[in-house]
Amino acid sequence: MIRSLIGRAIIPVAITVTGFVVVCCLLLYAVLKNDMTADAVSQANMLADIVVKSTRYAMLREDDETLRNIIENISTREGVEHLRIFNKKGLIEFSSDKGEIKRFVDKKAAGCIGCHAGPVPAAMLGDMERARHYVNEKGASVIAITAPIYNEPDCFNASCHVHPPTQKVLGTLDIGLSGKPLEMSLSTMRKRMAVFSFLVLILTAVGVTALLARAVIGPIRMMTAYCRAVGRGDWRGSFPSFRGEIGELAEAVRRVAARAEESRGILHGQEKKNTGTEQPPEDPEGADRSAGTRPEDSGSEQ
Amino acid sequence: MRFRQLRHRHPEKPVKGEGGEASSHASRERIRRLRSLAGRDLWSMALFMAVSIVAYDGFAVLPDLPPGIREMLGTPPSAAAVSGLLVLYTFSALILTLARIIGGFGAYGGVYHVVYLTAFYAFYHLSGALPDNFWAVFVSGMTILTLECYHLWSWCSDRIREERESLDEENGQDNDSG
Repeated sequence: MIRSLIGRAIIPVAITVTGFVVVCCLLLYAVLKNDMTADAVSQANMLADIVVKSTRYAMLREDDETLRNIIENISTREGVEHLRIFNKKGLIEFSSDKGEIKRFVDKKAAGCIGCHAGPVPAAMLGDMERARHYVNEKGASVIAITAPIYNEPDCFNASCHVHPPTQKVLGTLDIGLSGKPLEMSLSTMRKRMAVFSFLVLILTAVGVTALLARAVIGPIRMMTAYCRAVGRGDWRGSFPSFRGEIGELAEAVRRVAARAEESRGILHGQEKKNTGTEQPPEDPEGADRSAGTRPEDSGSEQ
Repeated sequence: MRFRQLRHRHPEKPVKGEGGEASSHASRERIRRLRSLAGRDLWSMALFMAVSIVAYDGFAVLPDLPPGIREMLGTPPSAAAVSGLLVLYTFSALILTLARIIGGFGAYGGVYHVVYLTAFYAFYHLSGALPDNFWAVFVSGMTILTLECYHLWSWCSDRIREERESLDEENGQDNDSG
């Protein structure tokens, strides 16, 4: 059982304050993580659209060499994990990884299943539906975007007429960006929140201890010392005054001590009358006391 | 929130003879009951841990809700709304427990809290945000149940001390009369 007043006060306060702050931090972290992930996906979507626009002219002119160059140059950029373009059937035509060119992508894999879940593939997807977050075979976190390459009027009106106007999607660009910057930001935020929660715990514990020590424990210790001295027969000690509830308790203790001293004096007088002889007092310090300070007179304002 | 109010009868003034023995026996019985009561909230905590283990796995051990029931339940609340409610619930539960600590009321609501927290896990699961918010519900539950546990344990310890003092006083009177 915890006996000390400080211990009994600190435990519930520390549990309450720290627990509540940690719960709020965790909920805030979840909200911020969602917002930051949405931001990263939005940036990746924008980049995917820029790549689609950049390659459009080369596609119209069927300039494979320029397309390959664009893909290679973009994929050399730090943070780009992969970049590939595949046709409507899923055959990879251009890729930063030369080993996968002329292979078919798995339509049931993450990133493809979003459109190919039903019997008729979906043609339009929202920003978040185009994105997938996974760990690749190298162990790197990747945010990948699959951006459809739509059949636009300048495609089906071109002289080659390869694609009929009814075909909505010509192919797909798949770009994978490193998720490391996002994870580093989230990790830093987690550490900062942990430090903040720990500081709240320390501040709560120290604050409650300091307040209790100043307002309650100190006066109680002084009163205990005074009562012990009175119990030993030492009446010389002074008794400081306090305010509030502690002051009322101190006043009550002071009155009890004064009443005890009075009773002791009366008893001593009667003893002297009964014996009829002058005897030295039992407590040699009592003589000093009669001329000295009474406990109730010696208080000093605190 | 409903809480179970514990009744504590103050020890009666011991009487000599058979009445005194009966009172002493009753005091011992009360001490035994208080001791078992002091650890009762640990069961609530164990139950909450078990629910949390199931929730951590995304309730994979439970069968999926049939589509008909899901449709009947309607659109799940948004994760932000559930989070707002969780903050409100945690705050009010902590304030109520602290109020009971200050007032010295021997009431505890461990099992009810486990039910409310399980509901939060369920709502997050239905809104598809349980993986992101699991630890918030878990820490909230552990904080509330730890505070409840501490309150019940310190309340029982105080009552046991009172009963012991009463027993000692009674034994002292018996010795004097003997």
